Amino acid sequence: MEKSASRKLTGLKIRAYRKQAGLTQAELARRVGISAPYLNLIEGNRRSVAGALLNAIAEALGIDAGDLDGGAERRMVQELQELASDPRFSSAHGAPSGAEDLVGSHAGWSTFILRLARAYEDQSQAILALADRLNRDPFLGETVHEMLTSAASMSSAAEILGHDDLTSDQRHRFGEIVSADSAKLSETARSLLAYFDSAEVRVRSATPMEHVDAFIFGENNHFPQLEQLAQDHLRGGGHAQFDKEAALREARIADAAAAPETRRFALLRGAAASIGSEAIEDITKGHKALPTDEARRLAGAALLSYLTGAMLMPYDSFLEAAERKRYDIDALCRQFGVSYEQAAHRLATLRRPGAEGVHFAFMRSDMSGYVTKRLPLPGLSLPRFATACPLWVVYGAFQSPGSTVRHFGELPSGDQFLFFARAIDKVPPRIGYPRKLLSVMLACSAADAGRVVYGDGLDRTNAMVEVGTVCRLCQRHACAYRQEAPLLETAGVSDKRRMAAAAPTR
Amino acid sequence: MPLPTNRVLVVEDEPNIVESLRFILERADYDVHSVADGVLALNRMRNETFSAIVLDIMLPGMNGLDVLRAVREDQRLADLPVIVLTAKGQAQDRRAAEAIGADAFITKPYSNAEVVERVDELARR
Repeated sequence: MEKSASRKLTGLKIRAYRKQAGLTQAELARRVGISAPYLNLIEGNRRSVAGALLNAIAEALGIDAGDLDGGAERRMVQELQELASDPRFSSAHGAPSGAEDLVGSHAGWSTFILRLARAYEDQSQAILALADRLNRDPFLGETVHEMLTSAASMSSAAEILGHDDLTSDQRHRFGEIVSADSAKLSETARSLLAYFDSAEVRVRSATPMEHVDAFIFGENNHFPQLEQLAQDHLRGGGHAQFDKEAALREARIADAAAAPETRRFALLRGAAASIGSEAIEDITKGHKALPTDEARRLAGAALLSYLTGAMLMPYDSFLEAAERKRYDIDALCRQFGVSYEQAAHRLATLRRPGAEGVHFAFMRSDMSGYVTKRLPLPGLSLPRFATACPLWVVYGAFQSPGSTVRHFGELPSGDQFLFFARAIDKVPPRIGYPRKLLSVMLACSAADAGRVVYGDGLDRTNAMVEVGTVCRLCQRHACAYRQEAPLLETAGVSDKRRMAAAAPTR
Repeated sequence: MPLPTNRVLVVEDEPNIVESLRFILERADYDVHSVADGVLALNRMRNETFSAIVLDIMLPGMNGLDVLRAVREDQRLADLPVIVLTAKGQAQDRRAAEAIGADAFITKPYSNAEVVERVDELARR
């Protein structure tokens, strides 16, 4: 599928570039030493082209061969296909086909569509965040309650004042209540206005961590510069420019009682800091998604861990091992001497165009539901402001720490994913305190489950768990796990499906 | 000894509201008692006899929904009429209180006549 898509693109692009250069098929064929009918087959995607011939064609057209073989385009095709199958945009006629033709002949428009989709996604997230905030903000809730209470008190006392059989003491007392509550009401209203006016409010709706999330998501959780650095470092024997001081500083941060993998990671993080800080600053400095110093600092720390992971688990050998071991995280831990979480996180970075692994969503939560790391997938958004669906294995994993919990889950949109999670001890247990467990969850499209060991033995047709994302966005009204009512009372996709299923068929 | 049919417990932390509720319910011949706290309210319900409870939802500490839940889970109190007073008027609070078993709702701001009517309906049935 990938190969044919790529071939299709290459042919189309050769034709486009040739026309742009004002050459006929016969002329270009003559220049590269092939027959015109053969070039015609190549341009019509009926013959593949690579190697010396591709280089010769590129040279004759005055472009790079890389412009023709299309790794970036392949990703665009995938993204467009995902977008086309998004139920939010799907129509009665089904998803449009021919993403390859679009990318091949209108690359600019393709980029534009994808940019538009991303902007739409951003806006949706922003709306979600605002709705969430209005719903949950304790200050707003309390303030509205206070105002209505004052209003209730005033109206009730005013009604009492309307009775003509009151004693003068009573009349005086209820008069006092009216004036006290009206003063209180104005005061509360003023503080509400001040709250909306304050700049702090606007900043609070986009915290630095959210910026970092957006940044990592925007970069597809893959940083070629850092991969290159890690590779160069390993090729140089791993000792070049090693700053021992920095390494020791990092190592001290890791508790002496921590697992050997954790200490090793901390030690190497020191080395990563000495070789990578410049490159990391280049990436974060002036990045549009990182508007504040704090966001840049946090992103820098995340990238340093990324680089460390890349040094411990070099891209090519890790991808090869992952494919061979079918993404068995324990096997990868043993091979690379890393912890479960480190290997799991690395799996979510295998997104180099042209050498991609299975795409995973990544989520880490503590026992109280606080999410500390998240990387969504198309079709599987991970909640940022609320706890996720209680049915997700990220929570179930806490019931049996150390073992992997897995299931197939179907979202209300109809998208199906393989979820697997494990709760791991984050610090050594301390007497008198609960274990500090963090649950690490990965999820991939159910279509990829065959490549992943965690899908083995699960019956995808009968054991599909009906999950949601966040209760307020989920339309599964009868769900026994529901924590709160849905925000929007519209008929969701699954409802439409149910209706379609219930409709009489011929 | 006949059961008292006129004792009403108002659970509300806003003293001015309590004062007005006390006035209008006393005029309608109720014996009005009040507490400002959910835990104290439960204690009194368990140790005394009331013919109806007027329960605010937003209470400090144990909130009104928790109080209502405890009432419904207590066999001796399960049938006690509870009128829930909510300032939010939000569908969500109301739905939650309905699910737990509130008998009636009054939304702030309310008319005094409405309060008396609701209490009459439930306390004297």
